[in-house]
Formats: sequence, C-alpha cells, structure tokens
Amino acid sequence: MISSEDAKRKPVPTPDADSAALWRGLRDGVLLLQHCGDCHNVQYYQQGMCRECGSENLSHRAASGRGRVHSFSVVHRAPGPAFKADTPYAVILVDLEEGPRMISSYTGGRPEEVTFDMNVVLVCEPIDDDTTLPRFRRA
Amino acid sequence: MSDSSLRGKAAIIGIGMSPVGKVPGRSPLWLAANAAKKALVDAGLEKHDGATASTMFNIGAAAIHGGLAKVVLVVASDSLMTGLTPDLALRSLTESRDQQYEMPFGIPVANTFAMTAHRHMKEFGTTAEQMAEVAVIQRRHAARTPGAQQTAPITIDDVLNSGWVTTPYHKLDCSLISDGGAAFILTSAEHARELGAAKPIYILGGGECYTHEHIFLMPSLTTTGAVDSSRRAYAMAGYGPKDMHVAGVYDCFTGTVIMMLEDLGFCPKGDGGRFVAGGQMTYGGQIPSNTHGGLLSFAHPGMPGSLFHFHEVIAQLRGQCGERQVPGAEIGLVHSLGAGFATNATTILGTENSL
Repeated sequence: MISSEDAKRKPVPTPDADSAALWRGLRDGVLLLQHCGDCHNVQYYQQGMCRECGSENLSHRAASGRGRVHSFSVVHRAPGPAFKADTPYAVILVDLEEGPRMISSYTGGRPEEVTFDMNVVLVCEPIDDDTTLPRFRRA
Repeated sequence: MSDSSLRGKAAIIGIGMSPVGKVPGRSPLWLAANAAKKALVDAGLEKHDGATASTMFNIGAAAIHGGLAKVVLVVASDSLMTGLTPDLALRSLTESRDQQYEMPFGIPVANTFAMTAHRHMKEFGTTAEQMAEVAVIQRRHAARTPGAQQTAPITIDDVLNSGWVTTPYHKLDCSLISDGGAAFILTSAEHARELGAAKPIYILGGGECYTHEHIFLMPSLTTTGAVDSSRRAYAMAGYGPKDMHVAGVYDCFTGTVIMMLEDLGFCPKGDGGRFVAGGQMTYGGQIPSNTHGGLLSFAHPGMPGSLFHFHEVIAQLRGQCGERQVPGAEIGLVHSLGAGFATNATTILGTENSL
C-alpha cells in the first residue's frame, strides 16, 4: 500500500531487462518496436520473445511515429493527487502504422479535440533527466 | 478408493524450466515465458490450448471434486472505504495498471473500462442513456435489498448530470467504493446430503478465460473472454443462456454490464444497450440481473466484489429474497472479471431440481 506522500508524485517507469532499450530509445527521440525475424510480427510491449510465435529472433526498429486513435477517454477525475492539476486530459489507444496498439495520452491540444480514427504523431516528452514519455499530438 | 479421489483423475503432461541460478539480463516475465514455452512443447500443445484464470468458486469445486478437500471456505473482504482516503483508494486501484506502460500517463482504473465502452458506442451505436439505464435499474433493485449502500431512486438524467469521471462515464456510471466481505462453505454433494443441508445449491458448471495482460493488448475492446468462459460453463452445466433464471453480472461500470450481457449470450453482440433499455435485465425481462443492486448500488469493496453476486444468486435460488425474489428461480449464472477484462470467470449454479 502506498503512502500519502508517494501518492503525490507521478509514477516514473522503472525499466527492466526487456524494456531498457525502449526507454533508452525514447530519450534519443525514437520509439523502438520489436520485429520478429521469423513470423514478422511487430510488438510494442517489450519481451524476450515474440508474442505470436515464441521466437527469440527479435530486432528493434524505430517506429514511424504515425498512428490512429482506436479509442479514447477524457479523464476528469485523476487517479490520485499527482495528476489532479493535469485534468482534463485524454488517454488514448493508438494503433501504430506498424501494427501494434499502445496506450498513451494526448498532448499539444485540448482533450476535446480527440476523435475516433484521428491521425496522430509521436511526441517524445522528457519528464525528468532520465525518462522520456511517448505521447501523441494531432498529425 | 472413493470417486472423489484425485487418483487417476488428473495427469501432468508437460514440464518445463527456465535457466536457473544466476541469469543476468532476463526479466521475471521472460523466465516464466521461457519455462511455459518448454512445457507446452513437452506436452505437444499450442499456446492457445491453455490460458485460464480462476475464481475461488471454480477452484474450490475442483478441489472438492478432486478429493483435495472435503470442505472449502471461500472468503474475501476489504475496506476500501474507511481504510483509505478516496484519493488513496483510487490510486491503489490504479496501481494495478502496468508500472511502465500505463501508470506514467495517469490512467485511472475507470479509464480502461471507459475506453471499451466508448468503442462500443462507436461500433454499435450504444448510447449514454442506455448505459445510464443500467445504473437506474440496479438502484431500483438495491432499494429492495436490506443493507444496500445506495438506495435512493435515480433517473437517467441524474446519471448524465452526475459529473464526468472519465468520458463516457459519469460518477453514477461507476461502482461504489465500499468496505465489506463475504464467505461461503463449499463441500461435496454427498457430504451436503450427509450434513442434511436444507437447500444446497450446486455448482453446475464453471469456465474461465484469460485474454491479455493490459488494455492495449486486449484482442478486441468490445468482445471479451466472457464469450469463452461462459461457453465452457454452459457446456459443463448442460444448459444455455436461455435456461438461466437469474444472473449476477460483473458491473464495475454500466457499459461493462452491457458488454457482458452480450458476451454471456443473453443478446446478440451490439444489442446490449437496446436489451437493457427494453427492460430485459430486470424483473419480467429475459434475465433479471444484479437483483441486489450490484457493485453500482449494493457495495463494491474491491476484492470480494463479485462474491456478493454469488451471495445474491444463491439466495435467489434458495427462494430467500422476499420482495425482490425472482419467481421460480432454479438456475442462475455469476460472471466476474478482473484486471481490465483480462480474466473472465463464469459459474452456473442450480437447485436440486436442476441436477
């Protein structure tokens, strides 16, 4: 159970062995997707093996950054005090051009602008010296 | 050797193990997946042959049937309401989001469910009013349930004017934050008879389905693992959706109920909103559901939430529900889900007459 003090801070991702490259890439301004050399599946959720065929023959390639909004929801009631000042903000599910779907939030505009099937483009937003978040703005 | 012995009833058909000892550069997820992959290969199975989560009832029944236990106590309780401030309760629920891929974006637990409901609106024309109708109906049910947390009547306009939580959900589209607990004793049918139980309610079928880890990996936002879990439960029970007299349908949010009623086979995919608005989930309709008021109006203490659905359906089948009794209820269904639609579990219950 978290304390009141902890709840006031925004959670920062802690990379693990599978995801270190993803977060390093974001600091360099690219979103790295895993491409399977055997079945050609492309995945965003970083793992040691392909989620489709189990192959470990995976390589990283930078995503184009282009995608479309599959669904979205504008948050008015923040999940705890850390996000209260940001409301309202739009959480979005983005279908990347390369295939995988990812969750993120909308930036660079008002949340009311977001619509189904809207074209969006990646924005790498640093939140501190170590961490850059993949967010999206209108294309 | 009695028929309830596990002897000869189950077999281990595959084994697997990841590298052990010092394994640098590998996450726990990788180690688990590596071992699972080897065990599947060992057993000659495909990835999609497995993958079920579980409810305590289904496991309890299996333990009894397998002879692992004679009597099983199923119990859960939590105190989300008084044990935590509202902010901490929400934040604590939100901690179940993925630490790397979700939490940094400020994603409330309601948001995951809201995005599925929003997509359901887009694909099938489901309306905010239809979703609100779920809350209105269940509040009416709660008003007839002694001890329910919220009993004051509400209208569709009340729901639509209750303030946004996360679109398309308003405050009254969301379940309560509560304290509470529930417990059950399970035993074998034989032992129930030995004990002379007045009106034992039998587990006729159970089914489970696990589909994804996180919302962005959910195969479809509008069709859930409840399709598979209920199909398995119906097959085991030898009954179908049309045979159910009463249901407890997981209702963390109003739109969830609409999707579940579809996936459990009570109406075609996409028709859930019209089904609800047409009075089909209440008395006189096809499947009176959440007759105690559910998580939306009776109580939602977190962990034991769906145990109250079990309590209600069992009470209905025993004929103990007084003014909210569904006449002639002999067979009922309870469906629970967890982890943002990832785990789905269906249980079918029945009276002696239904065996």
